[in-house]
Amino acid sequence: MAVMTKQQAKQFAEMDDFFLDLLNLLKDKGIIDNQERKVLLLTGFEKLVQALEKKKVISHQDSKEAMAKGFTSLVYALAD
Amino acid sequence: MYGWAGQRLRIDLSKGDIIKEPLSLEYRRKWIGGRGFNSDIIYNEVSPDMDPFDPKARVCFGVGPLNGTAAPSTGRVTVTCKSPLTGGFGDSSMGGHWGAEVKYAGYDQIIVQGRAKKPVYIWIDDDKVEIRDAANIWGKFPRDADTMIKQELKDEDIHIMLIGPAGENLVRFACTFNDVWRAAGRTGHGAVIGSKNLKGIATRGSGSVKIARPKEFFEICNRLRQAFKNDPMKMGLYEYGSLCLINIANRDGWLPWKNLQYGGTPLANNMSGETHAKTVLKHREGCYACPICCGRFTSIKDGRWAGEEFGGPEYEHAVPTGPRVGIIEDANDIWHNARLTNDLGMDGIETGGVISVAMEWYQRGLITAKDTGGLELEWGDEKVVDQLIQDIAYRRGFGDILAEGGDRASDKLGLGDKGHYYTITTRGMTLPGDDPRGLGFGYGLSFAVGTRGGCDHLRSLCCLELSGALYPGLNTKILGDERPAKPVTTVGKPYMVYYEENQKTVTDCLNVCCFTTHWCYTVLTQDQLDYFNACTGMDMSIEEFLEVGERVYNLERAYWARQMSGAREDVVPERFTKEPMPQHVDYQTNVGATLPINEMLPKYYKYRDYEPGTGFPSERKLKQLGLDYVAEDIRPLRKRYMSESEQKKKKYYY
Repeated sequence: MAVMTKQQAKQFAEMDDFFLDLLNLLKDKGIIDNQERKVLLLTGFEKLVQALEKKKVISHQDSKEAMAKGFTSLVYALAD
Repeated sequence: MYGWAGQRLRIDLSKGDIIKEPLSLEYRRKWIGGRGFNSDIIYNEVSPDMDPFDPKARVCFGVGPLNGTAAPSTGRVTVTCKSPLTGGFGDSSMGGHWGAEVKYAGYDQIIVQGRAKKPVYIWIDDDKVEIRDAANIWGKFPRDADTMIKQELKDEDIHIMLIGPAGENLVRFACTFNDVWRAAGRTGHGAVIGSKNLKGIATRGSGSVKIARPKEFFEICNRLRQAFKNDPMKMGLYEYGSLCLINIANRDGWLPWKNLQYGGTPLANNMSGETHAKTVLKHREGCYACPICCGRFTSIKDGRWAGEEFGGPEYEHAVPTGPRVGIIEDANDIWHNARLTNDLGMDGIETGGVISVAMEWYQRGLITAKDTGGLELEWGDEKVVDQLIQDIAYRRGFGDILAEGGDRASDKLGLGDKGHYYTITTRGMTLPGDDPRGLGFGYGLSFAVGTRGGCDHLRSLCCLELSGALYPGLNTKILGDERPAKPVTTVGKPYMVYYEENQKTVTDCLNVCCFTTHWCYTVLTQDQLDYFNACTGMDMSIEEFLEVGERVYNLERAYWARQMSGAREDVVPERFTKEPMPQHVDYQTNVGATLPINEMLPKYYKYRDYEPGTGFPSERKLKQLGLDYVAEDIRPLRKRYMSESEQKKKKYYY
């Protein structure tokens, strides 16, 4: 599922601190709600990747790659 | 009742009242224990305008649901009060075995209030609690008082919390010990205890801690203990104690030399853990249930201090009265100074910090021998340092001024802004022996915003940037990015600090040692939650667990807000922002670095949901955390903080 454009993914990849902005984008797009945003902020990146896979926003393969390569891989997966 | 004892002990030394108060399940779930219980009491019972030495002021000793169990390193105690050093929220944590003993005696927390008419100590023997005469131990070093109380009570197995002479003399950075050598060093609660004419609390507990799901609990504990055998940080800490950091700090330019004018010294190896182990280490020691055993016991064999023995030192104990004051050639001087601050009962960081700032005032001509009672405050002069440590503890001469802490001393000497420039403090408390221009920008950010002022290695530290690189993939797992593991960068640091502060706070609520979790990353947050749930029989989710940390952290921040301390006080000493790190060691890695604190603060505020103008927790955040009454308290203060008159005030302490 494409959550953002490739241009947006590139902007995220260049950010020094991306996590809050990514959660806000996912909330604005209706992929996570306020409660989920709060929970993911507390619990970190791995839980975010797991949640996106569970919601079928990203594939299992995307999830594995995101955990291996980090957020850059995740944001480009979200732009596919 | 599983995990918790289910009650707190409140002792009023003015009235002689001894009261046991039950702790409801709802209350325990909201605050967990230790730091959480204590912060709640201090917020609600010690008003912002109360003098820390007022008899009505409280000092709290909190333990957690895991204290006294087999979970790794669960012997810690949180000590909390209104700090006489900063005038704001103050807490500190100590290891040892006293925490477990308090639990076995049947208490989750001890609150002391009031003031005894004459020196006393408290004797807790399970249900039986007595206030006893302490005339014969007043003035004694903790090591001697410990022996005398054990002889008096005819019990060698009791565990005792004690203060030293500095606490009795109201030195604003006096500290507390248990088992003689395990210190809760920071924020000056030893002086608050001394102001109550209380020498210590001796404890004997014959009870136990009930475990809700024992099979599951012991499987988790055994798994974690096995995992520790291969932990890379554990190996260094066991072999060399926290002094294992000396050579690393020197290489990366965060070892303070001469009040942090430099980040290292070519002779640092003289005091490294490796050298200590070869020369003066008598044996290693561990706190309750600890798989690491980072504690040292030192025996000086030669030179003028030959024959001196003591428990310690740690990195943060040895550095302040060593390289920070220019002493490095003879490491025995450093071990001696550490022994002396222990025996006298003072925070080593603050003691070395205030002596080193006085030396820099002297170096720069802000003070002369006329101000110091004739002492020439030359860097590296052990004779001067030895005398000043004792003069501070007994409040003699120039030492009486330094006993007030760096920022108050600067004002007493009339040094103005120049004097404060050289006090390496945040909110009135001296930063530890870690220069953030080398240790890491995350640490720098956490020093600026920490809820007890300048913090050290057991508070809002960012070990993801110190030891994260030793655990491949860890930064990605938590932060989604490996780049934040590099210390001298702002990348990922706002989220790192937010995450680690919550994690550390909940660890302090459990009263588990940070060295076993998020220093050695063998125990992660999920592991902590698993043994907490198995121990207590609760079914807490990971988010509820971490939200307790966020709740406690925001309550502490709100305490400062009530004292008109917020965004304008979220600063670091100007030395870090204005003075590029000079080169002092050939192989130093951080030459030229300054700390770009203002690049990180706005994003950090967004993570925390602090208001940009005031830096106070937003009303939305406080209500989300179930702190509606705190939101009510803070609401009228927001406008006041932004008023012209408040903005003109320079606040170095409260």
